[in-house]
Amino acid sequence: MANDTMTSSAASLSGSPLAGMTLPRLLMRNATEYASEIAMREKDRGIWQELTWADYGEEVIKCAAGLDALGVGSENAMLILGDNRIRLYAGMVAMTMLRGYAMPTYSGATLAELQHFANEVPMAAALAEDQEHVDKVLDLRAAGCDIPYIIYDEERGLNDYDVPGLLSWTELLEKGAANLAANKDLRDRLITQSTPEDPAVFMHSSGTTGKPKGIVLSQRNVISAAWSAYEGGGFGEKEDVLAYLPLAWVGDYALTVAAAITYRFTVNVPERQETVLRDLREIAPTFYLAAPRSWDNILTTIQVGIENSTRLKKGLYHFFMDRAVAAQRRKLDGKSESGLDWLWRRLGEWIIFGPIKDQFGLDRVAHAFTGGEAMGEDTFVFYRALGIKLRQLYGQTENSAFNAIQSADEVQLHTVGRPLPGVEIKITDDGEILVKAESVFDGYFNNPEATAETLRDGWLHSGDAGYLEEDGHLVVLGRVSEVVRTAAGERFVPNYIENRLKFSPYIRDAAVVGSGRDELVAMVCIDFEAVGHWAEVNGVPYVSYADLSQRKEVAGLLKQAFLRVNTALPETLRLHRFVSLHKEFDPDDGEITRTRKLRRKVVEERYAPVITALYDGSPTVHMTAIVTYETGETSKVERTLLVWEV
Amino acid sequence: MFYRQSGIRHRSYVSDSKLFPIPMDRNLVLFLFLLGLAAPLLIDTLYLNSYVLPWLIWTAAALGLNLVTGWAGQLHLGYAAIMAVGAYSAVHAARFGIPWEFALLIAGLASAAIGSVFAFAAMRVKGLYLALTTLAMQFVMDWVLSHVPAITGGSHASLQSPPFKLLGQPITSDAGLYYVAFGWCVIVTIFVLNMRRTGLGRALVAVREKDYAAAILGVNSLYYKIVAFATSSFIAGITGALLVVTFFFLASPEQFSVTVSVQVLAMVIVGGLASIIGSYLGAALILLMPGFANSLFSATADFLGWQMDPETLAHIPNAAYGALIIIFLMVEPLGLGKIYNNIRDYFLVWPFDQMKK
Repeated sequence: MANDTMTSSAASLSGSPLAGMTLPRLLMRNATEYASEIAMREKDRGIWQELTWADYGEEVIKCAAGLDALGVGSENAMLILGDNRIRLYAGMVAMTMLRGYAMPTYSGATLAELQHFANEVPMAAALAEDQEHVDKVLDLRAAGCDIPYIIYDEERGLNDYDVPGLLSWTELLEKGAANLAANKDLRDRLITQSTPEDPAVFMHSSGTTGKPKGIVLSQRNVISAAWSAYEGGGFGEKEDVLAYLPLAWVGDYALTVAAAITYRFTVNVPERQETVLRDLREIAPTFYLAAPRSWDNILTTIQVGIENSTRLKKGLYHFFMDRAVAAQRRKLDGKSESGLDWLWRRLGEWIIFGPIKDQFGLDRVAHAFTGGEAMGEDTFVFYRALGIKLRQLYGQTENSAFNAIQSADEVQLHTVGRPLPGVEIKITDDGEILVKAESVFDGYFNNPEATAETLRDGWLHSGDAGYLEEDGHLVVLGRVSEVVRTAAGERFVPNYIENRLKFSPYIRDAAVVGSGRDELVAMVCIDFEAVGHWAEVNGVPYVSYADLSQRKEVAGLLKQAFLRVNTALPETLRLHRFVSLHKEFDPDDGEITRTRKLRRKVVEERYAPVITALYDGSPTVHMTAIVTYETGETSKVERTLLVWEV
Repeated sequence: MFYRQSGIRHRSYVSDSKLFPIPMDRNLVLFLFLLGLAAPLLIDTLYLNSYVLPWLIWTAAALGLNLVTGWAGQLHLGYAAIMAVGAYSAVHAARFGIPWEFALLIAGLASAAIGSVFAFAAMRVKGLYLALTTLAMQFVMDWVLSHVPAITGGSHASLQSPPFKLLGQPITSDAGLYYVAFGWCVIVTIFVLNMRRTGLGRALVAVREKDYAAAILGVNSLYYKIVAFATSSFIAGITGALLVVTFFFLASPEQFSVTVSVQVLAMVIVGGLASIIGSYLGAALILLMPGFANSLFSATADFLGWQMDPETLAHIPNAAYGALIIIFLMVEPLGLGKIYNNIRDYFLVWPFDQMKK
């Protein structure tokens, strides 16, 4: 099986009508041919404000013309700071028109991270959502970065700012309109000047190891990725999508900009990050992509909600859910649906599943995806049982997010599906997944060494371990660097076990340790909401997260989760002891990335005393942890942690 | 299970203030409306005109009283008196030869004029004192009706209502009379439904919660009290006139006695203050339940072969009916409308127990 090359089909982007297209041209195609269709919706003070393709195209052109008037051009970059906003998306496309780099950032990024970004390319401007983000740019300026212009979307709080180069979005558009009026050929030039090889967006690798690396995706990359996903059945035309993912995550760009423009999606922007769940219900998207942990969060909310519910509702839920999950498992084992299964599914859909999906705005979802990391099997089965055709998606920033997806009716638990049309996948002798496609980038920005390491003969070395099955399905095991062995030589991927632990609603994060050791142990962070609620219901007193995490009753709760996971693990890989940590893993402390992936090295170093205690048999360990606040200040959290036997 | 809310999004504040944004509510209301339209085909005329028709008229009356008591928070124990003003004005006007359309309008205006007098009492006194003041006015009206022959024709006389015509069409058939009552009830319902989303409704609620706090907010509580009394009296006047025209066919003083006032107030309180569905349910309970309890009890007694003297037979259903009201109010002090809302909420959050955070 190894060494197989798997190409889904001979087709590629160059044979399709999209060959040679650019995002500006596609946007203008939409603005003229589908002028009155809705391109964007943004909720403002409770009302969904709609923008047609004609409006959106005009907004982008004016923005590009305005930036042009400010002297922004190719080789320049614009920093994009903030949560999802229509204007930030329009700004990104405008930069594409100008052949410059749009550089989205995580809204929680620290000054040091931003400084690293800002020093990669000459920054011509920064597009900030509001005062908070304008302040960040000002901090960057103070730290020595040269950012001549700051454009802001939300004007609240910015009246008295006397800062050179600060202008509002409206002022920028006015400049753009004036520029367009003065230069008759500017409009055409903006639409036609960029080529498929010009940059679409400037992303960064997540940086699980070391500093984030710059990744420039060309327009050909992102359009080809959208084409592959479309051809592979990932989505249709005119999907309704919710733009709530972080702007700096490639999945958001690939969907809400690249695929949205190519296939005319309606992009819905929630009012605020806090209102996403509510807005999700109002929108009821037809396409929904979420990281496994968001799916886990919804699952936890459902489970907690049901636990609180009345006896009748609870009983009905368990009656139908148990049957649906069992039926789903039989289906995954390749058995066909029996008449009784069908009956329970239809009845359950009406009585329980439909209303639950309705409560979360998931009842119109035809394409539901999870991606970014592996998902717990139980979560996956739960959503399939609920009637949401949840599928796994596999991709990296380096190849514009789409490598392989599962098809809706042919789902296996352990695979991520077949490679998409136009994507070739090969497995090296040591089990690494290689990818070749038009969506693969041309190399890390100004980083030839890293490029040489990752990109060889046109093949992208993904760094993921995996294999292809006989039927062409790709199996991803985890990061190549994460496959470790116990002292006895047993191979395992800690991440895999961690995900299984995290299926428990009470465990938010977990770190499994055991490389080169005789047995496996784990450190877990409790889910404050779920455990806190459980404590209230069961009369367990607590005063804080740290206090709650060390309660004997909570340890009992966690122990059940461990026992459950252990039953599914081979004898040699069972977890023997655990510690419930007194603080959550936090991106600000560097323990997890902004996409909430575990930074294993940092965690193992920082919690070395805990790991020692886990292995030397001591019943307690005194631990001091450093907490970093968003302002950059730090403080110490001390606590004596208890070691529990599973 | 029944209430699906995903995908309901508003593109303007007008759409955001729709009466029934949830499809289930909309369909239910539409269904009930169509049921009301089809009632003459579905229900035997005897039941239609002796149960459904008065129920709709008394619902309109309860809605009118609810406007002043439920929304504006002014206790009113003289509602029947106001209805009497409308009834007699309309009948006199019609007898004078004025077409019924205008006669009904005159009934509304006359009632509104008299009813506004109550508002001036409400300016000075509140709560129990207002209840007593309005009760006194009810007695004054009773006295006037029985002692001024020019209006009623004397204490034991009754005033024949002239043949009912609307838009030149004589309305004599059972279905015709039913549709008049149905139409009026629908109009009043639509009006009161819209109270929720208009400045008038919000001002009335502000006055109800605390009139001087409302004044601080810039709501002229005197003005809105008068508006509330006048509007509710207008509804009372036309309802009183229609009651005579479509149900009693003649007007006599005892139709509008103090017991009737208390009954309408009972409908409002059992139904629930400021609840529209509650007014319907309250009117049904107060109006129809005694008859229902009666026939149920006598049927049971017949079936079991009980021999009882007629006195007991007449009083046991009354006692049961009273107990029923007490039980309903003990289960849900906010009335039948609240019970309906509780059931709706139960399904609204199905299968959860509360809205998710």
